[in-house]
This record gives sequence, structure tokens and C-alpha cells, in this order.
Amino acid sequence: MNKNKSKEYDVIIIGGGATGAGTARDCAMRGLSVLLVERHDFATGATGRNHGLLHSGARYAVTDHESAKECIEENMILRRIANHCVEENNGLFLTLPEDDIAFQSQFVDACTSAGIGTEIIDPDLARRIEPSVNPNLIGAVKVPDGSVDPFRLTMSNALDAKLNGAELLTQHEVTGVIREQDRVVGVELINHNNKEKVKHYGKIVVNAGGIWGHHIANLAGVNINMFPAKGSLLIFGHRVNKMVLNRCRKPANADILVPGDTICLIGTTSEHIPYDQIDNMYVSKDDVDVLIREGVKLSPSLATTRILRAYAGVRPLVAADDDPTGRNISRGIVLLDHQKRDGLSGFITITGGKLMTYRLMAEEATDLICQKLAVEKKCETADIPLPGSEQSELSMENATQKIYEGLSIAQKSAQDRHGSLAYKASNGGENDDSLVCECEGVSIGEVKYAINELHVNNLIDLRRRTRVGMGTCQGELCACRAAGLLCDSLEEAGKAKDDLANFLQERWKGMSPIAWGDTINEAQFTSWIYEGIYGLKADNN
Amino acid sequence: MKFDNIIIGGGLSGLTCGIKLAEQGKKCAIVSSGQSAIHFFSGSFDLLGQINGEEVYHPIEAMKSLADTHPYQRIGIENIARLAEEAPNLLNRAGLKFCGKADQNHFVLTPMGIMKPTWLTLDDFNRFDGKESFPWKKAVILNFSGFLDFHTLFIKDGLKKLDVNAQIKNVSMKQFEAIRKNPSEMRSTNIAKVFDKGDALNEFADKVNLLSEGFEVAILPAVFGLFNKKVADDIKAKINKPVVLLPAIPPSVPGIRSQILLSQRFQELGGIFFMGDNVEEGTFENKRLLDIRTNNHGDIKLEADAFILASGSFYSKGIVATHDKLYEPIFGLDIDGDTDRSQWHDEKFFNDQPYMHYGIKTDSNFHAIMNGQAVENLYVAGSGLGGANALKEGSGAGISLLSSLHVVDQILK
Amino acid sequence: MKKEIFEPFNISDNNFEQCVKCTVCTVYCPVLEVNPEYPGPKQSGPDGERLRLKDPGFYDEALKLCLNCKRCEIACPHGVKIGDIIQMARIKHSKKKPKFRDMILANTDIVGTMASTFAPVVNPMVALKPVRRIMDGVLKIDHHRIFPKYSGIRFETWYRRYAAKKQMDFKKHVSYFHGCYVNYNFPQQGKDLIKIMNAAGYGVHLLEKEKCCGVALISNGLIKQATKQAKHNVEAFKKSIVDKKMPVISTSSTCIFTIRDEYPHLLGVENEEIRDESELATRFLFRLVDSGKLKLVFKKDYKKRIAYHTPCHMEKLGWSIYSTSLLRMIPGVDFVSLESRCCGIAGTYGFKKENYETSQAVGKPLFDQIDSSDVDFVATDCETCKWQIEMSTSRTVQHPISILAEALDVEATMKLWQNEMALEGQC
Repeated sequence: MNKNKSKEYDVIIIGGGATGAGTARDCAMRGLSVLLVERHDFATGATGRNHGLLHSGARYAVTDHESAKECIEENMILRRIANHCVEENNGLFLTLPEDDIAFQSQFVDACTSAGIGTEIIDPDLARRIEPSVNPNLIGAVKVPDGSVDPFRLTMSNALDAKLNGAELLTQHEVTGVIREQDRVVGVELINHNNKEKVKHYGKIVVNAGGIWGHHIANLAGVNINMFPAKGSLLIFGHRVNKMVLNRCRKPANADILVPGDTICLIGTTSEHIPYDQIDNMYVSKDDVDVLIREGVKLSPSLATTRILRAYAGVRPLVAADDDPTGRNISRGIVLLDHQKRDGLSGFITITGGKLMTYRLMAEEATDLICQKLAVEKKCETADIPLPGSEQSELSMENATQKIYEGLSIAQKSAQDRHGSLAYKASNGGENDDSLVCECEGVSIGEVKYAINELHVNNLIDLRRRTRVGMGTCQGELCACRAAGLLCDSLEEAGKAKDDLANFLQERWKGMSPIAWGDTINEAQFTSWIYEGIYGLKADNN
Repeated sequence: MKFDNIIIGGGLSGLTCGIKLAEQGKKCAIVSSGQSAIHFFSGSFDLLGQINGEEVYHPIEAMKSLADTHPYQRIGIENIARLAEEAPNLLNRAGLKFCGKADQNHFVLTPMGIMKPTWLTLDDFNRFDGKESFPWKKAVILNFSGFLDFHTLFIKDGLKKLDVNAQIKNVSMKQFEAIRKNPSEMRSTNIAKVFDKGDALNEFADKVNLLSEGFEVAILPAVFGLFNKKVADDIKAKINKPVVLLPAIPPSVPGIRSQILLSQRFQELGGIFFMGDNVEEGTFENKRLLDIRTNNHGDIKLEADAFILASGSFYSKGIVATHDKLYEPIFGLDIDGDTDRSQWHDEKFFNDQPYMHYGIKTDSNFHAIMNGQAVENLYVAGSGLGGANALKEGSGAGISLLSSLHVVDQILK
Repeated sequence: MKKEIFEPFNISDNNFEQCVKCTVCTVYCPVLEVNPEYPGPKQSGPDGERLRLKDPGFYDEALKLCLNCKRCEIACPHGVKIGDIIQMARIKHSKKKPKFRDMILANTDIVGTMASTFAPVVNPMVALKPVRRIMDGVLKIDHHRIFPKYSGIRFETWYRRYAAKKQMDFKKHVSYFHGCYVNYNFPQQGKDLIKIMNAAGYGVHLLEKEKCCGVALISNGLIKQATKQAKHNVEAFKKSIVDKKMPVISTSSTCIFTIRDEYPHLLGVENEEIRDESELATRFLFRLVDSGKLKLVFKKDYKKRIAYHTPCHMEKLGWSIYSTSLLRMIPGVDFVSLESRCCGIAGTYGFKKENYETSQAVGKPLFDQIDSSDVDFVATDCETCKWQIEMSTSRTVQHPISILAEALDVEATMKLWQNEMALEGQC
């Protein structure tokens, strides 16, 4: 065991989701020394498994006023500071013939009182501005929804934290919390890359582990009642809608259709699952059928639009009462000062909330940390743009204008993904513009940039940073090419083959619940190439 | 339009049926919706490579333990040896030189550097007697600069396991600059087209000779001879060292060349190839198929005495899966497959996938079955038969070739 | 199990979602082979469409290099309408306005009318090298291109004067969509068509008013005008097919392909009512012969060695078998099949200076084949292919209908069905 007593961080943050990365950024910007540890990769928890909806908060206006208010404020902030992660395409709340039209006015009022700008528009106009919408709609309200890419958002926060001096360790899992009597002083970690154990020490340890925070808290000797609520979603092969489509009714299953980058997705469901299932989630046949059925009500063309994959995430909800669906639990932010709550100092938990409010959660956590460390620095995360979003004369109008003249497909796509940092994808060799992933337009240069600077350990990480394998072929052509590049930079070839096999298995996990039609064709083709021609196996060593 | 026989599907199965019938003087037509899976062919045809995870060395012997529903059993093990002799002869007559023995598998090196057992291998590629019998110790792996589809590091790793020391070198030539600059087009077929034109081969051979000095064997991607077979022969002649070609990511250059040669052979024998056309429906009467209607020919129906459905499996839409059913899209033939879609797949990608076994129901003479009744003059051949996971057991081409030859025998009787 | 027809209803009419990324289309694209600036059918088509749906800024002007030969569609194992996807993308997203030159090349009706009126002056002028150099420099119409000669008398004029009356003598009737080439440049082909149809017992009539099919207008971005002409033509076809029960035949493979397929796919002009009865003359004749309703008798002294070139539109339609079957029926014909390849001209594409090299490079393998085949002439159904082959090889080109007209023993053919009718009359 390595004893690393020489360095004591101000803050150790457990969890590389939006909350953890956001907190790392805020702390680092305020001059604290930060270590962020994450057991797998950035955004592998609920952060990477949600709608990607830049909430206007309208959805919660009627049932949860506080949440709605927080949402719209953060919505406006994110448009400013994270514009390269965000698409400001607005949203519609549709009233269908089977819904209660009276709900619309209640909805509008609630939005207004929460500060969410709404506009009731004529169904005819709705059909024109959003041709994919269900033509039978009887009412529509326009809201400032949008889409956000959670992987980009998290990575940008992590990058900014790093730029401000933070250290980031992915593939490091907390196996124990080090206590000295009633004080938490550090964490014990295992490095999944080389199976080595290591210890790190910090003045304050932050539990930002999402639903896994329950387990981490237990390691520290305290108890938090967390409520795993699984939600399933479907990703479609291409963008069907321009604007976000919602149902104008009390929140229920499968009533949000969100466009994002090259795809759109429908979600979600809500189902209580036992705690031991949270790392092993599969999307059931019933979930798929419900999502398609309800999705078609929002946009009829979904009935035969190709589905790319199905996935599920777990909401980190802190239990308050016995609601079996978890839907009516307040999604408010939960900040627990364990010194006050449990008599354990040096340990705080920041959880609950939603992707939209991560920055606010980070601010509240960092405020508490600074208070404990007697540091008097104000939060600036709402004012300073994230790396990739710095464009000086940025207004609401030109934020959405992307200048594409003279750029290749790969360069344009890279700009969408990395904003002002996209130049790094075209920095090096002469082959850099060649495409690795043709579906999503990812070049060799971008892959190399991700490998070199964005903490990529394997193909699945690479996929999150660059969208390799997220297109319609689901890795059929590009996985092998990307594996070759990774092999070049990082791994031994033997490990790369297993990595490739893992990547294909991970893709299959998302394809198998919807394995029919074009998906089954694609799967058969992929199997023929990798197993048939290449001779790849599940275990290649 | 009247023919003796019409074959639906222009892949390995369809072309084999067509060529054999045409060689026997029958007037045949093939209708194909597009180019076939031969385009992804690795260079080898498998007869039987694996049973229950165990590698097979003597396919004909090992076949005896296959289930009764397996296409080989249905063809009759006693017929296999004869048909397995007939197949490479037919292919040879079409200009495709395949070598191998049905009673003894040889080995080929895959692009991951793994040795796989197989039956027939195209003479572009090397055959090895055993898994460990790679006869050289020092190899140089040569790739084209900017060509992402050839995995040199995987090959090197695989060779290391065979106790072979390999080094990787890149070749850059101005003739490839233009396609290299095109972001998506540095592909095996485009490289092959440059060589086809003729002015790059000598220069390339010179570079290879230079770079392979001090090595025993040169390993290159199989990007030679797309439309011009001579290039594939010349490249080996011009290089001073033994050359081992390995497949790159599909499309496969030897595959496309094979498809073209087979198609040409069929047409030279008088066969008509309707490319890019879809069969929409058929006219049935008294348990017989009288004619078919295609997208291009509309009301001018195609009539024949006997029809063969060689439309393949899911990939080629020989069988279609929707979210709640499986069906055969042209005639609505009966399918052998589970109706519950959750049974179609296994959660683990590399496990045996149930859907790979599905096929069109046929009687003991390979007649297609519709609503429980056999159609007298409609046969099914190839992967559409189902009854096996051809991928896992390494039998895809064998089933296609042998079932096709056998079905034609039934027709000629 | 009852036969199911699975009708996908997708956001795109051109089903790019069905692409499984097999890349077979790129193997058969003739442009990619010779011009690496072209992104290729897969990238321009299904891959690009997905990105363009995300943001129209992803449109690449290099898509104009596509010949629209449809060979990618023919090769696609999943029936993705790649050519249509690319053309639709050009129509929707291209920011380039059609140049004056494009308008001249595309407006065949206007140019044809003027040029044929002044044919004696236009023809020699356009053939002069210095004039072609000026067109090259000013309009960027490549000086190598030789314009087809304009006829002094248009086909329609000739028809009305000399052929119309006689057509009423027949018991069965068809309408003839002659197209611009026959009308303004080569009325002889129309005369040949009438000769054969009359010999087969059919009277041939003009449509009420025919306009240029618009294929060149579409590919040059003049969509409004193309749509107007398309709607007009569909109405004219309806009058013939639906009202008068007369099917419409054509001798131009490009025109008939445009009217049947491009009208609904690219212009959104519905044509279900007329599509099935609009076809090529060779298909019409083939059906009659194949079903035993007509027997063609040919002259015994007609002996030629002919090579058939498959125009890209014929390859897509799958109809070359009709033309080749009819030619093979001529006993004195020694038939040579050429490998089916694009000739490279792609209509007005090859006239443009910036495309000339690509055009010729695409067609070279075909030209070499033709030059090295020892034939009397080449047969093909498409007029622009004819210009290209005559300009780029040592052979001349004849239309299958013209060949049939020359080889046909009209009297003997007519006698056969006249006897039949007489017998029928007696029964």
C-alpha cells in the first residue's frame, strides 16, 4: 500500500459526473487544491444516461415550483457559459386530443410564476415550425427548452478544473474512507488500470457519487437513504424533430422527445429497483414498447424510424416518503453537512438535483467547503465560460450561428463537439483529417486529441469524448479503426483486442433490446466482420 | 419473359445455382436487389470449423455429430463429399482458383493475427497446414500511409503468439495522395483501383523490396486486383520475398473480384442477371409458383418451370424482423423462428445468437413451405435455410455452396 | 403466414436510415474513381443526410460532382436511394445560383426552338472551332464538346404536315413523347418510331402539348421551372392515358426515367395515374412480341455487327433487356454485349468546362472497349450517350428503334397481323 502523506489536498471529490466535475471546477477556480477521483470515466453515472435536456423547468412548474425556478435560472446560465455543449432549439408542450386542454392554462400560469417564458401558439403554427409533430395536436406552448450534451459539459468542467490546478484520476475507485476518530481525512483507492492500491489525503472529502453515494457514505460510516429509480430511454437513428417535444400534462412516462446532435431520443420510464441492481441495468421489452407507444404520440414518424439503441440510467433520489415510483420525490438539491447531521467532520455529500442544476449544486457545495476552510472567495462559475465556449462578443443570436465555410466534415463536427478547442483536432499530422468514424464525422486528429488530452483509457471513454461509435453503424466500421489508434498510443495490442471486444459488447447491450429491423441486420453484419473475418472473441488473451 | 429457372438472390448461393444450371444448358435468370455479401468475403470458404466451441480438423467426419435439422444432415452426409468436390471445380471453371480439401481443414491467418481453420482458400491468400505452422520467424508488416483499415498492431501481436518477430513499416506514394486526402475514401477498393490502372505497381514493388530487406516474409493488405486479376498475380511475382496477403476491413478486394467473375461466368453461359431489382410477389396456383413480379419489370412477369429462393438471411432481407414478428417478405413463406422477440438474441454479443439459426421452412426436398404446404417448384438454398449458426460453427459458405448444388440436383432430376 | 408488405414511413422519402454502412456503393461510383474531390456516395448520401438533418451547414457543394448515374443505388443491397438523397440535398441546400450558361444548357425547349428556326446559320457556326473557343472562355462550355446539329424542320411540324392524317387508319393507338432531341435535332428517329409502330398496327399520336421533360433543369437547380413543366407533362399524359386510353411511349430512356421516377422523387410531382402506362417503345414492343401478339419480320439482307451500350438510366430501370432482346431478334445481327459502364457525359454535366476532364475519365474504359471491338456501330437508347460516344470513339451510334426500322420488313410484318385480323373477323 502506498502511503501518500506528503500531499494533503484541500478537497477530494468522489465522483466524475457533472456534479463532481462542476464542484472540482468551482473549488479550483476559488484557489483550492483539488483531487477528483472517479471509478470509471467521466459521466458514466446518471450524468451520461439522461435525456440530455436543457430543461426550461416547465415540466416541473405545476408540481414542483422550486425545482422549476432553479431550472430556468440555470438554463440561462448554461446557455452563456456552455454554449458549445448546448443547442438552443426551444421546446413545445403539446396537448393531444386525449389530454385535458384545461391543464394548459394552469401550466402557463405556473411557468410564469417560476420565471419561465412561455408562448401559446396555434396548432397550425406548431405544425409548420415543427413538421414532425403529431398533426392531431389541439394545443401547443413554446418554452425555452434546449438540448445539452452531458459528456461535453462534464468534460469541459473537468478540463477547466484541470486548467485551474486540479488533479483528475479516472479509473480510481474508492474502496475505503480514511477516518481519524470523528474526522474524515482521506480515501483509499484502487487503480483499475494496474490494480494498485493508493491512498490520498484531503481536508474535506466530498461525496458526489450520485446513487453510488449511498455506498460511499456507508464506507464513511454514515447512512443516507437513497432511492434508485431506473429510467429507460431510446435513441433514434437521426433527428426527427428540431424542437424538444413534451406532453402538456402532469409528468408521466415517455413524454419527452429530445433532439441532440445527430439523433433524437425518447424517455423516460420510472421504476424502483433494488440497490444491488444499479450496476446491472437492462432495458426490458415492456419499457421499449411503452417508449415507442408514447413516443409515437408525440411524433408519428417514430413508429418506423430506426432505433439505434436503448439504455437505462438510475436517478440519485434521496428518499423522503414512500412513493413507489419516485416520481413525486422532490428533485431538489440535497446538500448534507455530515458534521452537523452525523457528527462526522471533513465529509459532505452533494446529491439529488438534476443535470440542469449541477452548477448550482457545485456552487452550494463549494460555498460550504469554503466556509469550512475559512476561504473567502465568491463563486464565478456562472460568469466565466467553460473551455470551448469562450467567444468574446457572444450574444443570444450569434451563439447559435456556427460558421462552417471552408471546413471539412470532420472539422465542422469537431467544432460542434469541442467549440473553440476544436483547433486541437487539426493540429498534427498530415493524415489528421481522415475519418475514423464516418457516421459522426470524427477524424484521426480528433481521436488523437482525445487520447492525448481528454483522459481516454479505452474505446468506451473515447466514444464519450468524440462520438466514435455513436452513429448508425454502432461501431461496426469505426471501432476497429479507433482500436488501432488507441493501440498506437496507449495499450498493448492484446489489451486493445479485449477492449475492442468490450466495446462491441457495450454497443450490443444497447442494441439487443431493440434487435429487429435494421438493427438486427447491422448486428449480423458486425458479427460477420469481427467474429467471422477477424476471429475476434470475447476474451482474446 | 420465360426462363427454365429463375433464382432470387445473386449472392454465393444464387450464383452457384445459376452457374450449375446454365452449365447444364438451362436458360436462367437471377434477380438481385443489389450487390451481395461476397463483397465482404475474407478469401476463404468454410465447410465446418467449430462444433460446440471445439475446433474441427476433419469436417466431413465431424459433420456426423450435427443435429438432424442441420442443412448438412438434410443434404445427406453421404452426398457431402461428392458435392464438396464439385464446388471448387465449378468455382475454378469460373476463374476462381480455390484450394483445399473437404476432409481436412487447413489454416489461414486472420487480420487479427489469429489462425483459423477453413476449407477452401483463394490463391491470393496463404494456406497453412497447422495452427502453429507459420513457416517464417522474421516478418515485416507493410501498410499504406493513412490506411486505417489494416490493423498492423493486431497482426504483430497475433504473430508474436506464434513466435514470429514482426516489424511495421509504412509505404507512401504520390499515386495515393489524392485518395488519402479525401477524408472518407482511403479504402481498400480505392487503393486497388489505383493499382488496376497500372502505373503504381512497379514502384510499389520496388519500395516493398527495399523495405523487406533483412526479413523473411512481407505481409501486405489484400488490396490487389479489383477489376484486373492480373495485378494480384503480378504483385507476388515482382516482390523478392514470400508475400502473405491479409484481408483489410470490408469491402474486400478479392471478394468483389470473385463476385464479378462469378457473375460474368453466369452471363457468359447465357444467364441473364437482373441487378438492382426486387421481387415483389408471385402468382401461385395448385401448389406451384407460376411467375414472379419484380419492381423493374412490373406487368411483364418472369415465368419459369422452377424457382430458387436464395435471398439470404436478415442482412440481405431474406428474412425480416419487425418489433413483433418475423416474416419472409417476398411470398410470405413459413418461417422457422421464435415468435417472441425477446428470444431472438442473447445478451452477450459473442454468444450463440438464436436469430442466426432462423430460416425459411422447407420440406425434406428443400421445397419452400407456405401455410403448411410445400410449393412444388420453389426451392430454398443458402443461408435462408437456417438450421445452424453458420457464423459460430464456420459453415456459411459451405452451406451456401453445397445446398445450392444439391438443390440444383433436385431440379435436374 | 399471410404475406406482409412492410412499408417504412420515415422522415426521409429516400430511406437513408436503411443504410448499414457496408460501403459497397463507393465501389461502383464512377466519379470517385477519377475525381477524389468527390466525397463519395456513402458520405454524400446517407452519412451526409444524417449530419445535414442536424445542421444544414453540413452541406458540401462538392455534391454537384455526382453524375446522378444511380449506379450506387443499383449496387446497394438495402435499396437506399442514394442518388435521390444526393439530388434532393442539392435541391434543398445548394447556395449556388444557376449561371447563365446552365440556363442555356438546361432550357432545351427555348434554345431548341430558336436554334432550329435558324438551323442553317446555327449549325455551321457552333461547329466552328473559334466559336467553340469563345463559348469555352465566356460561358465555360468546354470547347471539345460538339453540339448536335439542329434540324431545319422540327419533328412536330413534320408530323403535323406529313404523318398525322395517316395515323387514324389504325385500330390501335399510342401517344409518343418525342423529347427535345427528336424534336429539334433528329426527327428521323421519330419517323423511324412511327414506321415501326405502324408496321405493328398502331397509330402514333402527339400529346396535346409536350414540354421538355426537365431533366437538365433539375440537375442545374432550376427547380421551379422544372416543376412547372413536370406538372404540365403529367396533365398531358393523363389526357392521353386516362381520358383517351392511349399509353404513352418514348424513345428517350432519360426522358421516360425522369417522368416516371424523378418527378415524384425529386420534384414531388405525383404521377401514379400515368406511371404504369408510360414506357419506352422497346418495352412496349417487347411485351407484344413476348406475349405472341406481334411477330416482327426482318429483311434477310440486313447484316450488321452491333455493340449495345447500356445507358445509366436504362441500367437503373432494368429495361435494357427489352432493347437488346429486340435487336437479337434480327437474324442478321451479330450482337456484342459491352460491359455496362457510365459514358461520363451525364447530360449537361459533361458540357461544363469544369467537369470535362472528369467526364472523359469516367467514360474512358467504355471508349476503350468500343474502340477495340470490331463493330459496325454502337446501339443505345440515350441521346446524350450517343453524342458522347460519337465524340469520344471511332464509332457511330444508332438508336435501337432506328435499327429496327431499317431492318424491318414492313410489308411482311403487316401482312401477318392483317391476316390474323382477317381470320378473327371470319370466326
